[in-house]
Amino acid sequence: MAGIALRRLLGALPVLLIVSLITFALLRLIPGDPSSVIGGPSATADQLAQIRRNLGLDEPLPMQLVHWYAGLLQGNLGRSLLMGQGVVEVTFERLPVTLGLSLYALVITLVAGLASGIVAALRQNTWVDQLAMMVAMLGISVPNFFLGLLGIIFFAVKLGWLPTGGYVPFSQDPWEWFRTTTMPAVSLAMLQMGLLARITRSTMLEVLRQDYIRTARAKGLPGRQVVVKHALANALIPITTVIGIIVSLLISGSVVTETLFSIPGMGQLLTQAVLNRDYPMVQGGLLLTTVFLVLVNIMVDICYAFLDPRVRYDGK
Amino acid sequence: MPRPTRLPFGLAAAMAATAAALLAGPASAAAFKCPHVGGDFVFGQEANVNSLDQPASSTISTRNVAMNIFETLLTRDENNNTITDLADSYTESPDRMTYTFKLRQGVKFHNGKPLTTADVVASFDRYNKIGLERSMFNNVASWDAPDASTFVIHMKKPQPTFIELLSSFSVPVVIVPAEDRDDPPMQLKTIGTGPWQLVDFVPGSHVKLKRYDGYAPNTKYEQRTGFGGYKQACFDTVTFRIVTEPGARVAGLQTGELQGVEDLPTKSLPELKKDKNITVVPLPNWWIQIALPNTSAPPTNNLMFRKAVQAALDMDEIMDAATDGNYKLNVGFQYPNQPSYTDAGKETYNLKNPKLAKEYLAKANYKGEPLVLLTNKDYPSMYNAALVMAEQLKAVGIKAELKVVDWPTSVTTMQNTTTGWNFFFTGYGTQPALGALATMVFFAPPNANYKPAPGKDDPDLLAAFRDMNDQPDPKARQAAFARMQKIILDNVYAVPFGSLTKVQGVRANVGGYVPFRIPRMSNVWFKN
Repeated sequence: MAGIALRRLLGALPVLLIVSLITFALLRLIPGDPSSVIGGPSATADQLAQIRRNLGLDEPLPMQLVHWYAGLLQGNLGRSLLMGQGVVEVTFERLPVTLGLSLYALVITLVAGLASGIVAALRQNTWVDQLAMMVAMLGISVPNFFLGLLGIIFFAVKLGWLPTGGYVPFSQDPWEWFRTTTMPAVSLAMLQMGLLARITRSTMLEVLRQDYIRTARAKGLPGRQVVVKHALANALIPITTVIGIIVSLLISGSVVTETLFSIPGMGQLLTQAVLNRDYPMVQGGLLLTTVFLVLVNIMVDICYAFLDPRVRYDGK
Repeated sequence: MPRPTRLPFGLAAAMAATAAALLAGPASAAAFKCPHVGGDFVFGQEANVNSLDQPASSTISTRNVAMNIFETLLTRDENNNTITDLADSYTESPDRMTYTFKLRQGVKFHNGKPLTTADVVASFDRYNKIGLERSMFNNVASWDAPDASTFVIHMKKPQPTFIELLSSFSVPVVIVPAEDRDDPPMQLKTIGTGPWQLVDFVPGSHVKLKRYDGYAPNTKYEQRTGFGGYKQACFDTVTFRIVTEPGARVAGLQTGELQGVEDLPTKSLPELKKDKNITVVPLPNWWIQIALPNTSAPPTNNLMFRKAVQAALDMDEIMDAATDGNYKLNVGFQYPNQPSYTDAGKETYNLKNPKLAKEYLAKANYKGEPLVLLTNKDYPSMYNAALVMAEQLKAVGIKAELKVVDWPTSVTTMQNTTTGWNFFFTGYGTQPALGALATMVFFAPPNANYKPAPGKDDPDLLAAFRDMNDQPDPKARQAAFARMQKIILDNVYAVPFGSLTKVQGVRANVGGYVPFRIPRMSNVWFKN
């Protein structure tokens, strides 16, 4: 298994190289640079020129690329042009925030999505099925920023149960972390929950019609055992693939949620970096995010082998 | 009340003849004392703070926080007059070739180190390397510190407006410890002398400040005035929380999670005004909404065409859409409450005369060429102004088109090219607040905002700008400004629509909060 993981990691190197080159090129192709953001609307031409000099943006592009790769080879992803902090330092400050939020949203997604999908499949064409699928469609259809705003108005302004925004690290105060991340996590999870519920339902329905399920029932196995051990276990392969995608979507989907709830995570950081043309931050941040997503994909592949004995990567 | 160190705006030159020492007078009434000390004041700020390195950034969001941490030798009072802050006094030699500053005694940095002129020299050195307004030192030969409390600036040639530039809060020369002189741009350590010191800064999330107990207030004053005066930190801590979503700012103010916010959306105001726990505080004349023509590209290279545009516009409609109704019509580049205000050129403003516009179009021999309005949605007021302007121009037969990009693209396009666009939409915020000279810089070379061909700047405009800088008499400089404004409006080198009002809000239990260009956290307290 370690050999597989290592081969996959080595295979990811060209991906990272391509991502870094494309990011560098695309960013420079977008018109505009950070000087207009640092300067603001009232900056004079003179001030904008001074900002470009200060940030080294007056250097030729090939030199900027050489500097970027030279730093990369030494493990230095550069400094954010706007924040002045190291890209790695900022990323490792922000990544745990997004991961924590995404993990919380993932737990909600898995619990609610799997449960409602399974129940809907078992109660096909009943009101339970229709209710579960209606909630799922609602989650898929309503944009998460709108859900977030509704949540703020209802749970923060009207009921006063949860704060309107902000973030408290788990290490500082677990209860406040829970309070500040619940609304963002739910609004983030709604879309994925809907997707997972629908996929789980359709996969379960397909599995439940298989001969071996009929055989299991004919043998007189209890219903719970049939569902959990025979049906769900076999439905888990496609569901695991979807969960892998959901993890990626939760991380990328955190952009809007983090902005709405003023949560200092990676999503907000990278969006701002793109909008502000903070080149090193986008390049470094995307590279690190790519590394993370590659790792998630490798883990999903490894999970297949555990979940399905037929899946082997050693060619035997 | 402030005592006599306050210098009426622009009068520094008048005082030069006598080389008057600007010294403190005797103390009068009791100085401000916080009615209540304590608490965490949470302020919802609309824009992200990227850096607190003030000399390297001119964004308002940086200034919002940093002006509470750092201080300068000179600053501006409530009415934009130049006043001393870290300087105890300054003198200007009769020939205007030397400025001598005496430092206030007993001032310490947040790290406990006493302020000396070595720090001032280092701060000026750093600013001269990376400061965004280092051009203010173009006529400066050198500076030195003869002793620990005396700082001297030597000029290459007299510059009557030097003190005005040095006291600007646009990108101020903040005084930092000498050991930070080599901090790279955007990486300045956040150690100042102000009443608030940094605790925690997470870009995109919040900036937390705490009261600096070693702060030495300026005892020449009894009250805060502008960015100077007698400042006291009444809260234990102040948290600037970044809340970019307007609805979330309103909700935060309603629930009391935020005790103050900036930029309240107009739609929320009726509800907020009914809430007895909230005080809505409008800040008029926040910025001048403006469109700038590209005079190097057709059809806006034709004066008659630009006059047609000017004649067609109904400023009320444009400003109403741009600001959701929070605006004032305003001629030119200063506001009526400012000493340098002039209505020169008013005959060109808000004409809303389609017939006249069509006459000008005929004179311009306009053949239906497209007119591209370059705007962005990052600043909704700019987008909305462009949208309404386009419709008004279409109504008189101009083929107006919107080109909507993001703000950085919009600025780069305007700065670097003279093709593909005809009007650039922006807002002048800080510069008009600083006075006429700071605003007219936009129309001076290089890269004047009306985009003349290189070396083809309007000679009359250049002459007026020179006079604004070089005339020793403040009245002559003001006359030059009036002349310059009239030239700009007569030639349609800019289309200022009007002034935008920014609405802030605080919880009703907050005392002493007076809206200003930058939210001031000193001399503000919780009532209970």
